[in-house]
This record gives sequence, structure tokens and C-alpha cells, in this order.
Amino acid sequence: MSQYSVSARAYLKLFFHAAKHPQSSVNGVLLGKEEPSGAITIVDAVPLLHHWTSLSPMMEIGLDLAGRHAESMGLTLVGYYQACERIDDTSLAPVGERIAGKLRDGYKNAVALVIDGEKIGSGEAAVIPYTPQGPIWRPYSGESAAFGPGSIFQLSSADLPQRALSLVREQELHQKFGDFDDHLEDVTIDWLRNTACMPSDV
Amino acid sequence: MSLSHSALEKLATFRANNTRASQETFKNASTVLKSFKRLGDDGWAVLEQLFLASVDVGRLDVADECLRQLGKQFPDSPRVDVLTGIRMEATESPDVVLEYYAQLLDADSANAAIWKRKISVLRRTGKIEKAVEELSQLLDTFYTDVEGWLELADIYTSCNQYIPALQALSHVLLLAAQNPFYQLQFAETAYTAGDIPLALKAFLVAVEMSERDLSDKSPPVGISVRAWLGVKLCSRRLLLNSSPSASNTVVPKNLHLIEELATERVLGVYSSKSSSTRAPEGRDVVVGWVGDR
Repeated sequence: MSQYSVSARAYLKLFFHAAKHPQSSVNGVLLGKEEPSGAITIVDAVPLLHHWTSLSPMMEIGLDLAGRHAESMGLTLVGYYQACERIDDTSLAPVGERIAGKLRDGYKNAVALVIDGEKIGSGEAAVIPYTPQGPIWRPYSGESAAFGPGSIFQLSSADLPQRALSLVREQELHQKFGDFDDHLEDVTIDWLRNTACMPSDV
Repeated sequence: MSLSHSALEKLATFRANNTRASQETFKNASTVLKSFKRLGDDGWAVLEQLFLASVDVGRLDVADECLRQLGKQFPDSPRVDVLTGIRMEATESPDVVLEYYAQLLDADSANAAIWKRKISVLRRTGKIEKAVEELSQLLDTFYTDVEGWLELADIYTSCNQYIPALQALSHVLLLAAQNPFYQLQFAETAYTAGDIPLALKAFLVAVEMSERDLSDKSPPVGISVRAWLGVKLCSRRLLLNSSPSASNTVVPKNLHLIEELATERVLGVYSSKSSSTRAPEGRDVVVGWVGDR
């Protein structure tokens, strides 16, 4: 199996998206590239919906637009992420599986990340990777725990979860975050880049 | 120390629109607790609002104080019973809470608010079939409960049951015929259900409803942006291949013109000549998307 590394930018965006809408499901796509070694770097994330997350038209359009954006940046759509409405729900849900499956048609090593609501406030990596086994996607279970030492899933730096937490709690950076749903209400919102809420070193 | 006029107005707007801005509301917590008695009748509504916000952000200490005051002022109030139930939901097991609701419903089977709390507990504990059964019964009794029909549609949609969702939404459209938001939800659900002609028709109605008061020259804003995107998405798809319609909706004859108009309207949203002081973002990808055949 390939190795996956999640960059600060991608992790912070997932985190901010979930933090901004604590009572809703949220979802989006992951943008990345393959390194010469074959490892996959998840460079960025583009947030899609927090409203009517089970309905498809805006999701389809958002996916298409995110794909074009990825291409313009020399990146590929390498995966899908979501956070469920309920804190104890970490399933990929019917919707997530369908979208992840579609992304996999376009990129064979596509991966899905589900945000773990119980861990969001903990300062630990708060995402659960899902990988496909045939048409079904399951939480990844390998010899090493995901995002722990030796795992094929890594964060680009170990302090990311703690940093994400303090950026939300202390600076409320997530309030400046906008997804496709937000953009549709106000097209001046930069949902593809979200540079306004990224720390300067990210 | 009192709440400023603007803070009170904001809280009132949240109440009127049923907005769940709990973190925002909770910021006023200490001021509300100190000064709510000076707000007249509104004070109790604000206190109830703070109670709900406090439960939402996990500050049960503040919630308990609000509930205590409300219980003292309104003993034996069914409305306070609902709040008591919500407070229990935060810490007790679902069985305990359902038992409490069962007792209240035994005493008053027509207490819609308690019934809805019961249904929401059933839903969040995964008892979907039971939740749907109870909600359907509730809607038999309280047919005009738009919120109930919306919840039913949401439950069905989340289980990929789009036709029943559309049926539930059709009641919403009857009950709230002038609301473009619900019309849009119907359109998006029809698309998800695979009934593209029905979705197109519904998106066009949503456009008409939301642009009724707009002058011809101004670009689409708000709901009509989504609606026009929906029109473009559907019309383009129908031009590429005809799609069966489970509802037997007829495709409009002037499909080409509709698609062209939708393209123009969507591009208009992203034109830099719009009156907003900031430029639209992500224009290039949209131009690429509308131009695709």
C-alpha cells in the first residue's frame, strides 16, 4: 500500500471546516501529488458542503470545479474527507462512500479521511483514514495505528493537531474559513484557496 | 450592566429565524443572567435561548441556572418540560430520557414539542425506522408542521430514499408555497433522485421565485445562484442525453435557450462588473465549467 502524508495546509483546512460547523456534516476533497518514491502527499484540501450534504447537484459542481482548480495547480484529486453530524459517528456514510468511489475511478490510490469528533479537542490526530476493499470502504487498520510512528499515514508534523486546536480556540481562525456552500451565497469567498485563514508559514 | 440594543436585536433575530448560533449567543451569558429580569417578557425568551446555547456549547452549569430560573417562574409549564428533557439528553442515557418523554406523552399525547424530542432521540440513537414511524404519526396529527415534514425529508435523504423524501418535500411546498428555499431543496433532491426533468422544472421555479423582485440587469445573488447553477447542470445533461423521469415530467421544448440563458446568468455572477467592492473568486474554473460541452 502507498504511503500518505497530510500537509499542514490540508489538515488545518479539514479541522477548520469541522470546527466552523459543529452541528452539521461537512465534506470536501483532498488535493495531492505522487512523489518520485510513490508516496502520496496530500498537499491541500478544498471544502465543499456543510448544508444538504446528502444532495448531489452542488456536490457534483463543486467536485468538478475543485478538479479544475487542482489541475491548474499541478495537483490531482486524491481523496475525500468528511465530518459527521454526530460526535460518535465516524462512518463514511452512504454519501461518502459513493463520492470516494467516484474519486477512485479517477485516481486509483484515492483515500478518504473521516474526522473523529471525539478526538477533535484532544490534541491528537483527529482523522481516521478509510481505504477501499472492493466496493466497500473500511477504516484502515495496519500494524501501526494511523498517524502514529511507523504508520503509512503520517501528518507532515507531529504538532499539527495541537496547533489546529489552538488556532481555533485562541485565534478563531476557523471563522474566516469558507466552503463552496458559503461561496454560493457570497462569491467573493475564496473557497478554493482560503488563504485568509491560513497562518503565514503554511 | 445590560445587554446593548444591538446585542438584543441580534438575539431576537436568531429567535425569529430559529438560528442555532450557540457560540455567538453564549458570549452574552453572564450579562443575560444578570439582567434578564429587566427585559420584561422578552427576558424569559432570552433566558430560554441562553439555556439552549449553553447546552449546545457544553456549559451545563449555565444551562442549569437558566433552567432553575425558568422552572421557578413557570411551574408546570409544558415548555419548561421540553427544556428539562433537553437538559437530560445532554447527560442521561437515551433510555432514561425516552422514559421521561413517555411519561409526559402519557399525560398529554398531543404535546408535539415533546414528541419531536422523542423522535430526535430515536433518530440519533440509530432507531431510524421507529423515528420515521413516529414522525409519520405526528404529521398525521399535525399536518401543517413544516419543520416535521422537513425533518422527515432529511431522514429519508440521509438513507438514500429520495422518492419518499420528495413526497415529504411536496407537502412542504404545499404548506409554504412562497418559499424559494424549500423549492430549491426540492429541486436538489429531485436531481439526487435521478429525475432530471423534474429537477430542471423545480430549479426554474426556484429561479422565478427568488428573482421575482430583481431588475433585469442585476446578476443573480444568494439562492438564485444555486438555482441557476442547477438549471445549467440539468439542461446541459438533458441536451447530452434524454433522461427518464420517474414523475413523467416533460422536458421543456426550448431547452437550448434555457441552457444558454443559464450560462449567461452564471457568468454574470462572476463578472467583475458586479456592484460588490470585492471581486468574485474562482472565476476561471466556473468559466471552464460552463464552457464545457
